[in-house]
Amino acid sequence: MNWEAILRTDPVAIAIPVFVISIIIELVAVRMGWRGDYDWRDTGTSLAMGLGNTISGALLAGSVTGIALWLWQHRLFDIPVTWWSFALCFVVDDLAYYWIHRAGHRIRWAWAAHVIHHSSQHYNLSTALRQTWTGLFGLTFIIKLPLFFIGFPLELVAFCGGLNLIYQFWIHTEVIGKMPRWFEAVMNTPSHHRVHHGTNPRYLDRNYAGVFIVWDKMFGTFEAERADEPPRYGIIRNLGTFNPFWVACHEWVGIVRDVARARSLKTAFVAAFGPPGALSGETADALRAQWQAESAPPASPPPAAVPAE
Amino acid sequence: MDRMGLLAFSVLGVVALVVLARLLGFARRPQIEDAALAARLVAEALPGFRAAETAVSRDGSGALVAARDGRVALVRPLGDRFVVRPLQAPIVARAGGLLRVRPDEAMFPETSLDLGEAAALSWANRL
Repeated sequence: MNWEAILRTDPVAIAIPVFVISIIIELVAVRMGWRGDYDWRDTGTSLAMGLGNTISGALLAGSVTGIALWLWQHRLFDIPVTWWSFALCFVVDDLAYYWIHRAGHRIRWAWAAHVIHHSSQHYNLSTALRQTWTGLFGLTFIIKLPLFFIGFPLELVAFCGGLNLIYQFWIHTEVIGKMPRWFEAVMNTPSHHRVHHGTNPRYLDRNYAGVFIVWDKMFGTFEAERADEPPRYGIIRNLGTFNPFWVACHEWVGIVRDVARARSLKTAFVAAFGPPGALSGETADALRAQWQAESAPPASPPPAAVPAE
Repeated sequence: MDRMGLLAFSVLGVVALVVLARLLGFARRPQIEDAALAARLVAEALPGFRAAETAVSRDGSGALVAARDGRVALVRPLGDRFVVRPLQAPIVARAGGLLRVRPDEAMFPETSLDLGEAAALSWANRL
């Protein structure tokens, strides 16, 4: 197998026509009554964000490539490009994705870049393309850098990352209910990822997986979709506009505003690097705890004291 | 195809998909039909918010919901969904029965609520 020729291709670029055709099929399917929904304004914003993401990626990717190349030049091992290193890289890259994604939800600085993807109240294939314009500034790429230091070649990591991104496209749909049980057990699926996009307290900050849902099960962040609780998609404070520029930068503006208003260094630090919602008390953990307290059955009264004989 | 050509082609593709979505009828304008819907939307968006009083615009284009603890939230449509905001120091203007409310938040549009003169006056004072 000519790995060099394969790695020279950009799998995402090749997949774009498939993305477009899939969206058209989903639009028609939903129109015909399949589960799911679209709004033309929301779709326009999602696609504009996807287009902007490719432009910003082309403009900014060089800086990360430079760091990655420097690390690879000081690598620990010489890893050849072959079938086993491809398989290993794909799995390790997906593990790195899990932690990148988790950091993207738990650190406001990284959330400012990632929130864009969650800013739609819809969940359809166009939502998959609603991507950040400021991913580089979120700094979560740092989590992937050890792969280059270990010795995985840049083009192999980039190729695996592209395949990971392509895999995640099809799971952004309501048209597909549940996959076969064995598949749901191992792989990320539309059902698992609908949970991830839900703002229901039960679903907040769950299912960070890219391809393999096993990471969430290993690290305690898995939540199964419940038939009696459909996800409410979006973010805690859904945006009041479809303007793509505001979608792209609203959380960064929020960080600047909160840091400027901070009366102590500690508050400023929490505003930038604490969990999203830390200043208002509306973190995912706080909202879940409040919901659990409200939905817990009232404690049963203590049994009447029995007089000692 | 050079980069500019690719960009132009991509923009055309985006426009085509958006037009297709519009032509297929994905362009609903939701209405707040009653106080119960407004209260439910606020309760879902703001955990712990217990609605005590609600004023729905006569045209269903928005609503104000007051909680038992004195907080007030605005509900308004965005596309085919709704957005909710707790109101803290909003910009408020009243003209007869029309109450215009704008949360203290960049890019959040002004909402005009047709509440009738008495209700508009009452809510304006409350905000």
